[in-house]
Amino acid sequence: MKKFIALFLAALMLLSFAACGDTDTDTSDAASTGESSSAEKAEFKVGAIYINSKNDTAGYTFAHHSGITSAMKQLGLNVDTQLFIVDEVPEDPEQVRAAVDTLVGKGVNIIFGISFGYIDALEAAAKEYPDVIFSHATGYKSNETNFNNYFGRAYQARYLAGIAAGLKSLQTGNNNIGYVAAYGTEYAETASGINGFALGVQAVNPNATVYVKKLNAWADEVNESAFAKELISSYNCGIITQHCDSAQPQIAAQDANIFGCGYNSDMTADAPKAHLTAAIWHWDVYYKTAMEAAMSCGTADKFVSTMGTPAYYGGLKENFVDVSPLSENCAPNTDTAIKAVRELIISGEWDVFSGVKLTITAEGTVTKADAALVDNAGNEIVAAGGASVADGVITGTMNYYVAGVVEA
Amino acid sequence: MRFHVVKRDNWPLWKRALAYLAAVVAALVIGAVILLAIGVDPLDYYYQLFTMGTVGNKIAYKTYMNYIKEFLPLAITSVALSLAFKMRFWNIGGEGQFIMGSISAGYIALKFGASLPVWLTLVLMCVVAMLVAGIYGLIAGFLKVKFGTNETLMTLMMNYIALYVLYFIGETKADWNLFLQETSSRPVFVNFSDTVAFPTIKIGAKFELNICFILALIIGIIIFIYLKHTKQGYEVSVIGDSAGTAKYAGMKVNRIVLRTVFLSASLIGLAAAFKVGTAGVLSTAITDDVGWTGIIVAWLAQLNTGMIFIVAALICVLQHGSTVAAATYAQVDSSFANMLQGIILFLVLAADFFIRFRIVRVKKGE
Repeated sequence: MKKFIALFLAALMLLSFAACGDTDTDTSDAASTGESSSAEKAEFKVGAIYINSKNDTAGYTFAHHSGITSAMKQLGLNVDTQLFIVDEVPEDPEQVRAAVDTLVGKGVNIIFGISFGYIDALEAAAKEYPDVIFSHATGYKSNETNFNNYFGRAYQARYLAGIAAGLKSLQTGNNNIGYVAAYGTEYAETASGINGFALGVQAVNPNATVYVKKLNAWADEVNESAFAKELISSYNCGIITQHCDSAQPQIAAQDANIFGCGYNSDMTADAPKAHLTAAIWHWDVYYKTAMEAAMSCGTADKFVSTMGTPAYYGGLKENFVDVSPLSENCAPNTDTAIKAVRELIISGEWDVFSGVKLTITAEGTVTKADAALVDNAGNEIVAAGGASVADGVITGTMNYYVAGVVEA
Repeated sequence: MRFHVVKRDNWPLWKRALAYLAAVVAALVIGAVILLAIGVDPLDYYYQLFTMGTVGNKIAYKTYMNYIKEFLPLAITSVALSLAFKMRFWNIGGEGQFIMGSISAGYIALKFGASLPVWLTLVLMCVVAMLVAGIYGLIAGFLKVKFGTNETLMTLMMNYIALYVLYFIGETKADWNLFLQETSSRPVFVNFSDTVAFPTIKIGAKFELNICFILALIIGIIIFIYLKHTKQGYEVSVIGDSAGTAKYAGMKVNRIVLRTVFLSASLIGLAAAFKVGTAGVLSTAITDDVGWTGIIVAWLAQLNTGMIFIVAALICVLQHGSTVAAATYAQVDSSFANMLQGIILFLVLAADFFIRFRIVRVKKGE
C-alpha cells in the first residue's frame, strides 16, 4: 500500500512539473496573438453548440467547425482563446439550454447552434439572454433583435452538379441516376436538393430518371453504402449522388465502375475514379459575415438589423454554396455549361425553381425557354414563364418531387 | 512462480475508503497523462471540471440548477436499479423504462394539462408514468419467472423497442400525434412548460430549487428503510444471496421477483415523470443515458442507497464539469467525461477486488 501511495505521489509531482511548463508556453502564446489583434477584437468571444464532436474529421459538424474556425482566422480572432464549444449536444431542449448557460457563463458574445432541433431552446434562450446573440443554422425562427437563422441555397449547387451528372449520362448512354437521400419529401431541405439536382440533370438529358432511396436518418454509413449498391444493381444506375454524411455512396459507385456526385465536401479523394463533382458549402462565408456584424453592431439587440434580415439565405452569389472542382471523370464541356449557368444564377437572371427551363447541349451551350414546373404527379407548380417559387417554399413547405424523380 | 488469490479478512472502513480514493486518484492521473499528451493543462482542466466553471461565473446559479436537473433522474434511476440488482435481477432496461415513463407522463401533460389543475396533472403524470414503466419492466420479469428467459437480454432489447417507439412519435406527423407541433413543417416536440411544471422554491435572489429534489431525497430514505428494515426488503436480499434458500424458507420467490421488478421499473418511471415535468418537453434524448449511467452508479455505490446519492452526485460533477472544461479546450470533446468515467469504474472495481482478496505468491515445494 505504501509503495502504491508513493508511486501516485511521484506521478502527481511529475505531472505538476510538466503542467507548469505547459502553462508557461500557453501564456506566451496568448500574449503574442494579443499583440496582433486590436483590443476590441480581443474581447470578442464566439460560442458554438454542435450535434457531433468538434474533433470530427468529416461530416456536418466538421463542416461547421471548419467554417467557424476559418472565419475566425480570416477576422484575426484567436481560435484557442476566443472560441468556446459545447459539443455532442443532442436535440434535447434541456441539454441545449444547459449548453447555452455554460457558454453564456464563459462570457460569449454570439452563440451558433448548428442543429435544427435546437430551435425552440435557442428561441427561449434569446429571450432570456438579450445581451447575447443567437444564430441558428437550418431553422426558421428569429426575432427582431438578437436571434436569427441561416441556411444556404444548396439547390443551386445541386443544379450545377446535376448538369455534370446529366452530361455524363449522355456520354455513357445510361439514363438511370441513383440518389441516396437522408429523407425525401418529409423535409424541404432534402426535397429541394433532390429536385434541384433532377432539374439540372434534365436540362441536359430529358430522358434521365432520378431514383431516390431514403435512409430515414441523416447519417447511417452502413445503409449509405448498401442503398447505393442496391440502386446500382436493381435500378441499373450509372451515376450515384447523395444527401448523407459519408462518402460511402461514392465509394460504392467506384467499386461498381460507375460515376457519382458527392455532397458537403469534395469527395474526389474518396473515390478518384468515380467522383465528378460535389455540391459543397462554404460555411465560413456566413460565419464571417455574422461575426463581423456581431462585432460592429455595438449591442446584441442591433444584430438582426445590422444583418439586414432575420433569415440569412445565401447562395452561389454569396459564394456560400458551390460545386467542388470538376474531376477528370467529367464529360467534355461540363465546365463550359456549369460556368454559363452559374453566371445566369449569380446575375439573378434565372433561378432553378421557376417557369423557365434551361436546355443544355452536349457541347455546353445553354438556351432558355418558358416551360411550366411540374411535379411528378403532373400538378403544375409554376406556370410557364412564371417567377421562382418563394424562398419559404424551398426552405419550409416543398413536399413534392419534380417530374422525372421516382422513389425507389 | 505461481500466484494464489486468497480471501482477505475484513479491512477497516478507513482502509477501504483509502483504496477507493486511490483508485479515483489513479484514474485522474491517467486522465491527466492523456490531457498532457494532447496539449491541455490538466490542472486547469480539472480545476474547471471540479468547480464546474462556477468560479468567476456571473450565472453560476444556472450551473447549480442544471447540475441538479442532471442529478435527480440519475440518482432515482440508480436507486431503482439497485433494488433489482440486490435481488440479482439484472435490469439493464432502465433506458426503456425511462422512455416509457416519459412518453406516458408527456401524454398526460399534453392531454389534460390545459383542463386539469396543475397539481392534479403532475400527480397523474407520476402515477401513470410509474404504472406504464412498471408494467414495461414487468414483461421481462414475467418472462423470466414463467419461461426462465434471460432478463439481461430481455431488458436490453426492450430498451431499443422503447427508443424506436419514441423516434416514431418524434418523427411521425399525424392527427393522433399530439406530441408534435402542428405549425412546424419539420417535426418538433410540443413544449408544455408554460402549463405544466413542477413548482420550485426560490432560494436567494435567483437560484430555484425544484421540488423534485426534496421528493427524491424522501424516496431515497424510504427505499433505504424498505431494504434495511422491512420484511419485503429482507426477502429481496435473501433471494439475492440464494433463490434456493429463499424457496426452502417458504418465500414465494416468483411473487417477490415480480413485485421487486415492478417497483424498480416504476421508480424509474417516476424519475421520468420528474424529468418531463421539469423540462416541459419530450425529446429523443430525454433519458440523458441515465439507464446506462445508473448501472455504473449502482455498482460503484455497491448497491448502498446512501452511497448511490453520493456517487450520483460525483458522477454528475464529472459529466457536467467535463462539458464546461471541454468548452474551453478545442482538443477535448465532451466524450472525455465518458472515458474518465470508464477508467474510474475499472479502477474502482480493481480496488474492490483487492479489498476483498489478496494475491499471495506460492513458493516452490509448498
